[in-house]
Amino acid sequence: MLVAVILLVAAFGAGCAEKQAPSETPSEKPTPSEQPPQPEVIKIGVLLDLSGDLGAIGQKMKLGAELAQKEFDSLGGIGGKKIELVVEDAATDPAKAVEAMKKLVEVEGVKVVVGPMTSSETLAVAKYVNDRNVVIISPSATAGKITELGDDYVFRTVGSDDLQAAALLDLMKSRGYSKIATFVIANDYGIGFEDYFKKYVPEMVALSIRYDPQKGDYRTELQQVKDAGVDAIIFVGYVDSGKVVFRQAADLGLDEIDWLSSEGIAENVMFEDAKTADFMAKVEMIGTKPSSTGFTYEKFAEKHRQAFGSDPDLFSDYTYDATMLAILAAGTAPSYDGPQIREALKKVSEWYNGATGYKLFDENGDPAFYTYNVWKVVKTDTGFKYEIIGHWAPATGLELIP
Amino acid sequence: MPFETNLLQILFNSLISGSLYVLVGLGLTMTYSLTKFPNFAHAEFITLGAYIVYAMTDILNLGLISGIIVSMLITGFVGVACFLMVFRPLANRKGTMVHLMISSIGVGIFLRYAIQQIWGGQELHFSKVHFAGYNLGPLRVTSLWIGIILTAVILVIILHLILTQTKLGKAMRATSNNPSLAQASGIDIDKIIMIVWFLGAALAGLGGFFKAADTRIVPVLGWGILLPAFAVIILGGIGSFYGMIAAAYILGLAENFSIIGLISLGISTDYRTAIGFVVIIITLIFAPTGLSGINFSKWFKRRRPHEGEVME
Repeated sequence: MLVAVILLVAAFGAGCAEKQAPSETPSEKPTPSEQPPQPEVIKIGVLLDLSGDLGAIGQKMKLGAELAQKEFDSLGGIGGKKIELVVEDAATDPAKAVEAMKKLVEVEGVKVVVGPMTSSETLAVAKYVNDRNVVIISPSATAGKITELGDDYVFRTVGSDDLQAAALLDLMKSRGYSKIATFVIANDYGIGFEDYFKKYVPEMVALSIRYDPQKGDYRTELQQVKDAGVDAIIFVGYVDSGKVVFRQAADLGLDEIDWLSSEGIAENVMFEDAKTADFMAKVEMIGTKPSSTGFTYEKFAEKHRQAFGSDPDLFSDYTYDATMLAILAAGTAPSYDGPQIREALKKVSEWYNGATGYKLFDENGDPAFYTYNVWKVVKTDTGFKYEIIGHWAPATGLELIP
Repeated sequence: MPFETNLLQILFNSLISGSLYVLVGLGLTMTYSLTKFPNFAHAEFITLGAYIVYAMTDILNLGLISGIIVSMLITGFVGVACFLMVFRPLANRKGTMVHLMISSIGVGIFLRYAIQQIWGGQELHFSKVHFAGYNLGPLRVTSLWIGIILTAVILVIILHLILTQTKLGKAMRATSNNPSLAQASGIDIDKIIMIVWFLGAALAGLGGFFKAADTRIVPVLGWGILLPAFAVIILGGIGSFYGMIAAAYILGLAENFSIIGLISLGISTDYRTAIGFVVIIITLIFAPTGLSGINFSKWFKRRRPHEGEVME
């Protein structure tokens, strides 16, 4: 009981401390004219999953946002105004994302936010940000459903999974599969892929499984895939649960079929676990991911290495672009106000050419030009890597590097 | 399903799940029968066991066996410490089952966040220990899975022998049945209770290692097994040793076969967790005393002496 009381008191204390915070911030409201005007600060909200299933990726994506801020800071800000990133953790949980978004808007007074990371989180906050006229630019929410939200305050720098699923389907066809199993995370991201394949190639999908990332045990599910006698399994999920799936697949000896995946796991943290890495290399896992190649990307990667001493990882480039666009829009809008930032964002997107290429938004807030890389896991002398073996774009289709 | 399911493998997978529940449930049911409250902090003994084996094998480079032994010892002592520092003082001050239960949730949260502070929240894997996989006819097995099943069976036999053949076992049963009478007959019930808490926590730690080796090491590892573990001890008849063992394998079977059903219905396989809840609800409505309370002799006509009554 004592412990429970102590914990309650501690939790209450922490809550109080958080609630006191807003009293320190009103200084950035327009001050009366008798005071010398303080250097105005442009606040950019950053709402990423810094913990939970995607915590490892979110931490690295945050660096992409910081890099964009640093670049403007080295130029003395934008239009003489400093940029402040207000970072919140969505903890890979849509409910937490809504909570954190409300904190950014109500407490911090933020009008433009980079994030959230997942499709479920983005869909969860969409109604709220539209009601409050707050612009959000997700660097990594890929579900097709987000397109259906239409013309609103929700933008993203990545393309819809309907495109990526089309890329994966072309890849599957190029390998001549007749029967596949889908094994997807049970959220908007995973189910989006499952729905796409069931809609366009229902005769190919022999088995579809939706898994929960928290459970951490998929042996019997994987056994079903083994029994189904398919040519390939399409895995769509995240890194933490992905490791468990691949480890258990290795235990089950599920290495005689082909494995395909998407960008959710195309991240170097997968190789931190030797058993996972060995399995991925053994089955020569292939997959797709939003493009990270080309001249502007190399330039970004170089800056990232200089600033942080490490290579950029999955979606750090898209986070960088989302942050750049947010800063440019907020900096060029006549005032720090949601609808004006939204209009400015549409304007700057017409000419912005970032780490991930041109970012012109279409009428739904999705990028109009889009390319995917095709990757393959290979073992090198020093470890493992995702080797780019081809590209896919809506106009050109699949092009594999010979 | 348009294909044939490998039923043998599903049965084998059910054995693995059931054996994990046995390892975890043994301690839970033992401490319950002696101290009469559901210990929610048991979940964290499970987690702690896994993390200590990780620290021993991956960080300190000890072998697996010595890592497991050290982990069981430490987890056992943490269990005893929780009992001595929180639960016994509370019980001595006339704390009821509700007080003890809520305090065990508090202790659990404390331990979980302590674990997260030490090792961080990200998931870990055992990188120094490897378990080979083999094909036995249609069956796929790994040394880990066989280890889980064998360990559960051996532990059940050892505990059965302790309970029925030794003075300690007799004292444990007596203390569980009637503490005052046991004390009056010269049994040091404090000592017995501490031994049981030590054993219970150590077994939880062992179960935690197996679960973690089979999946991953995360701070919520134990919390995920606690609900099915409670379902198992309620289905088995709270405090019943043999009922719990039967219930563990029944739940293992139910969960694994439900996965096939869930997949064919196109529902996330996480709903297998709901099986645990359904089992608890149905048991409480129709047979509140669980398996151990059902009079099987009525059906079999031949009464087997004493079985199913040992720990009640």
